[in-house]
Amino acid sequence: MALSKDVYRAFEDVVGAEYICDDPVIMPSYHQTEFAAVLLPQNTAEVQAIIRLCNKFSLPFRPVCTGWTGKFAKGSLYLDLRRMNRIIEINEKNMYAVVEPYVISAQLQAELMKGGLHLNVKGAGSNCSAMLRGHGHLDQTTSGDDRNHLAIEWVTPAGEIVRSGSLGSSDEWFCGDGPGPSLRSILTSAVPPGVTPGVFTKAAMKVYHWPGPAKFPIQGVSPNYSLSEIPPNFMARYYSFPSVAKMFEAENKIGESEIAFELMGFNVAMVAANITTSNEEEEETFRRLSREVQGPGFFVIVAGNSAADFAYKRRVLEHIVAEAGGKSLASLEDPRLEGILLCQCIRISASIRETFRPGGMFSSIPVMGQRDLTIQWAIGAGKAKEPLIAKGLIVDDGGAFFGWGVEQGHLGKTEIFCKFDPQNPEAKAAVEAWHKEQSTRAFKERYFALLAGQDEEIGRGLSNYHIWWNEIQKELDPNRVSPEGGALV
Amino acid sequence: MGLEQYKGDMEMCCRCSTCKFIPMQRVSGHDFVNVCPSISRFNFHSYSGGGRLNIGAAMLRDGFQYTDRLLDIVYNCQMCGACGVSCNYAMDMEVLEPIQEFRIRCVADGKTHPALDKAIAGLRAHGSMVPPTGKRGDWAIGLGLKDATREKVDVLYHAGCLTSYDPSLQKLARATAKILQKAGVNFGIAGDAEICCGGRAYQMGYQEDFLRQARENMALIKQAGIKTVVTACAEGYQAFKVLYDKFKLRGDLEVLHISEFVDRLIQEGRLKPRKKVGLSVTYHDPCRLGRLGEPWVHWEGKKVPGDRFVFDPPKTYRRGTHGVYDPPRNVLKSLPGVTLTEMTRIKEYAWCCGAGGGVSESNPEFAQWTARERIREAESTGAEALVTACSWCEKAFDEAIRETGSALKVYDIVELVEAAIS
Ligand code: SF4
Ligand code: SF4
Repeated sequence: MALSKDVYRAFEDVVGAEYICDDPVIMPSYHQTEFAAVLLPQNTAEVQAIIRLCNKFSLPFRPVCTGWTGKFAKGSLYLDLRRMNRIIEINEKNMYAVVEPYVISAQLQAELMKGGLHLNVKGAGSNCSAMLRGHGHLDQTTSGDDRNHLAIEWVTPAGEIVRSGSLGSSDEWFCGDGPGPSLRSILTSAVPPGVTPGVFTKAAMKVYHWPGPAKFPIQGVSPNYSLSEIPPNFMARYYSFPSVAKMFEAENKIGESEIAFELMGFNVAMVAANITTSNEEEEETFRRLSREVQGPGFFVIVAGNSAADFAYKRRVLEHIVAEAGGKSLASLEDPRLEGILLCQCIRISASIRETFRPGGMFSSIPVMGQRDLTIQWAIGAGKAKEPLIAKGLIVDDGGAFFGWGVEQGHLGKTEIFCKFDPQNPEAKAAVEAWHKEQSTRAFKERYFALLAGQDEEIGRGLSNYHIWWNEIQKELDPNRVSPEGGALV
Repeated sequence: MGLEQYKGDMEMCCRCSTCKFIPMQRVSGHDFVNVCPSISRFNFHSYSGGGRLNIGAAMLRDGFQYTDRLLDIVYNCQMCGACGVSCNYAMDMEVLEPIQEFRIRCVADGKTHPALDKAIAGLRAHGSMVPPTGKRGDWAIGLGLKDATREKVDVLYHAGCLTSYDPSLQKLARATAKILQKAGVNFGIAGDAEICCGGRAYQMGYQEDFLRQARENMALIKQAGIKTVVTACAEGYQAFKVLYDKFKLRGDLEVLHISEFVDRLIQEGRLKPRKKVGLSVTYHDPCRLGRLGEPWVHWEGKKVPGDRFVFDPPKTYRRGTHGVYDPPRNVLKSLPGVTLTEMTRIKEYAWCCGAGGGVSESNPEFAQWTARERIREAESTGAEALVTACSWCEKAFDEAIRETGSALKVYDIVELVEAAIS
C-alpha cells in the first residue's frame, strides 16, 4: 500500500516535504481510507506534475475539496486541493467569477454580494467548493448543474492542460463553448457518471444579479443568528396546499411568471430543521408545523429590484397561491423566523441541520425530470420510508420529499432522503435496501436517477452512452489513473 | 470514562469541514474565513477539529497507535474551541471535549511533548507556568494592597502566573490595583501565596496537575473566606469559573474577569472614566473569556436508542453562545475618546492569539504564526491599537508585532481604563 521511497520522493519533489504525508495515522480523517499518500498541491503546475507522475507509476488519484463523507479506493493518491483557494477574478461586466477549487461558495458569494451579484450555492452547502457541479436552492433563477460552468482550466488524466471554451482561443473566461473547444459533454456533463476524470484547476462560474444588500444584517451569537431586519423588498414565505396537484399548479405558475427569487419545495421537516438549533427543538417544531400545514408545500423568496417590482411580484405570488388554495404558514410570517430561513437558505443552503444533525448520516435519491411526474415517484418512495420510520430506524419526517423547478420551468429536481444513525447496522441495512429499491424503481419508470454500479442498464437507457463514455475515457485516461473522476465536494 | 464517553460524538462527525471556517453566515468575503489555526497552518485534514475526531474514533475502534505525526497533530492545537462553535451551529455533538480527552489520554500514556513536560515540571516545582523572576507578589510592592490570606476582603484579585512574573506585564496587575483602589473596592491579593490556576496544565493534557492546583486554590479561598475572585487573564477566568465547576470544585464562589468587574463598577457609578484616551482600537476576544468562558453545564444522561443522537435527559451543548463578549466592549465604549472598530472574526468565532493549548511552549513558531494572522486582521480595521483582555494574548501579540514591525500598539483593557481614570 505504501509508496516506495523513490516514488514518495518524486512526489515530494513536486509539492515539498511539508505537503505530502503517507502516515497511516492521518488516514482515518481521509474518509477512513488507506490512501497511499495525501498530497496538497498549490497550483496547476503542481497538479500537472503530480498527474504525470501518477501516469508514470500507474497510481490512481482522487482530487477532493472540503470533503464530506465518501467512498474511495484503497491505495490511491488523495489530492487535497485546500491550498488552491484563490478567487482569480470577478468580472462584473461579463458576469462571471474565476475561482480555484477550494474557494468555498460562502466566500465567493460574500464577495459577489458586495458588487450586486450572486451565484448558485449548491445543495451540498456554502461550505463546499464554489465550482461544484449540482443543484441548489437558487436553481429557479440561477439554473443548476452544468449550466453555470463557463471556461475551465482542466488537467486531463494524461497530464495535459486543456483550456475550454473562450479560454482555448484567448485569455477570456466568458464562455464555456467557444470560441475554442467546448468539450461540454466531457467536462460538465450531468449524465452518468457525472464526474470528469482529471482535475479542474480553475473554472469561471456564471454569476447573477443580486437585488439584496451587500451584507445581511446578522445579529446574535451562534447558533442563534437572526436578521436585525428583513432587507428591503425581500419576503420569505412557506405555503401549503390542499393537494400535490394544487401545489404543482402553483409552482408552475410561479415559474412561468418569473417572480420568485427562490422556490424550494421544502417539506415542513426541512423547515423545522432549518429554524431550530437542536435535535429536540427540531422534533417538537416538526410536530407543531405538521399540524399547521394543510398538505404539501414550498418555500418562496421574493426579491424585488425596487419597491414597485417587489409589490408587483408579491401581488402575483399571492394571487397564484390563493388560486391554488394555498395557505401561508403563519408561524413563519414572524419576521424573526422569516429572517432565519431567508438567510439560512440563501447563505448556507441549509444542508447540515437538515441532513446530518439527527443521526450523523443521510442517504438520498435525487431524480431529475418533469416535476409533477417525479413527485409521483417520490410519493411512492416516501411511502416506502414509513415502515422504517415505524421501526425507529430512520428519522420521522412524515415520509417527506422535496424539490424545485429549474430555470423557472416545469423540469426540475425531486429528491428524497432518509436520515439515520450509520452506527446502527439494522438502520444502515434498511436504508441501503430502501435506496436500491427506490432508485431502481425510478430508473425503471424512466426517471433520471443515478444508480451506482448499474452503468450497463443506464447506458442502454441513454443511447448506449456508457459505451461511448468508456471509449472517451480510454483516450483521455490511457493508464486509468483517474477512474473515478474528480469529486469536488 | 475519558475519551470513551465521546465515542458517539466522534462518530457523528460527517466530515463537512465546517469546523475549518467561521460560521457560514458570518463569512463576509474571501479573507479571514478560517477559524482553526491548526488546519490553516498544517493543512492536512487531521489537524482540523473534525479530523481529530475521526482519528479519535478510529483509535478507539482499532487501538492507539502513536507516531510522531500523531503527536505533532495532538500538540499543534491551541485547544481554542473555535472548531466546536462552528460545528455546533448545525450539529449536536461535542467537539472540543473529545479533543481535550485525547490529549489527556496521550499524557496518561506517557506520550508527552518535552516542552510541555518542562512547563509542568516548573509548575510542580514553583506553582507557576512561567519561570519565576522573583517573588510572586513582587509586582505589588509599594501599592499597599491587602493580603487576602490574612485580612478580610470582599474580592480576591488573582493576577496569574504570567502577569505576576513577566516584568513587561506586571504593569497590568498594577493598573488593576489602581482601578480597584479608585473604585473603593475592598480587595486583596494572595501575593507570594498565590499559585497557578492550573488551567494551562489542563489544556496541555495534565489533568492531575490541574486538579492539584484547583484543590489548593479552592482550599486557600475557603480558608480566607473569599466569596468573589476577579482574574486578570482569560486563562485564570476559564479555570476558576468553568473548569473548577466542571470538576465540582468551585462551589458557590463567584468568578469574574477583570473586564466584567470593571464593567459592573462603571455601571454602578463607582468608577467614572473621565479622561480622554483618544485612541482608535479593535478588540480581540480571548478564547477562554469568550467562547470557552461560557459556564459549564452539568449533565448526565444516556443516549436514547434509535434514529437520533439524542439523550435522556436532553443534553444542553455549550456552543459558545454565553461567553463574555459584551462587558469588555461596554468598558471600551465607556472610555472617552476610544473608538472601537470590530475585526471580521469576533466573539464566538474569534481567531485565537496562538498561545493556547501550550502551543507557545510546544511550537513557538506556530504560536507566532497564529498571532501574526491576528495582527494582520487587526491592521485591516485601520485601528491604531489592538486591545485584549488576557496577558497571554498581549504577550503573543507583542512578540508578533516585534517580529513583523507592525505599527499597531497592543494594550490590555485595564491599561486603557487606568489611562481614563488617572
Ligand atoms: S467536527 Fe463538526 S464541523 Fe467538523 S467536520 Fe465534523 S461534523 Fe463537520
Ligand atoms: S481547538 Fe482550535 S486549534 Fe484545535 S482543532 Fe479546534 S479550532 Fe483548531
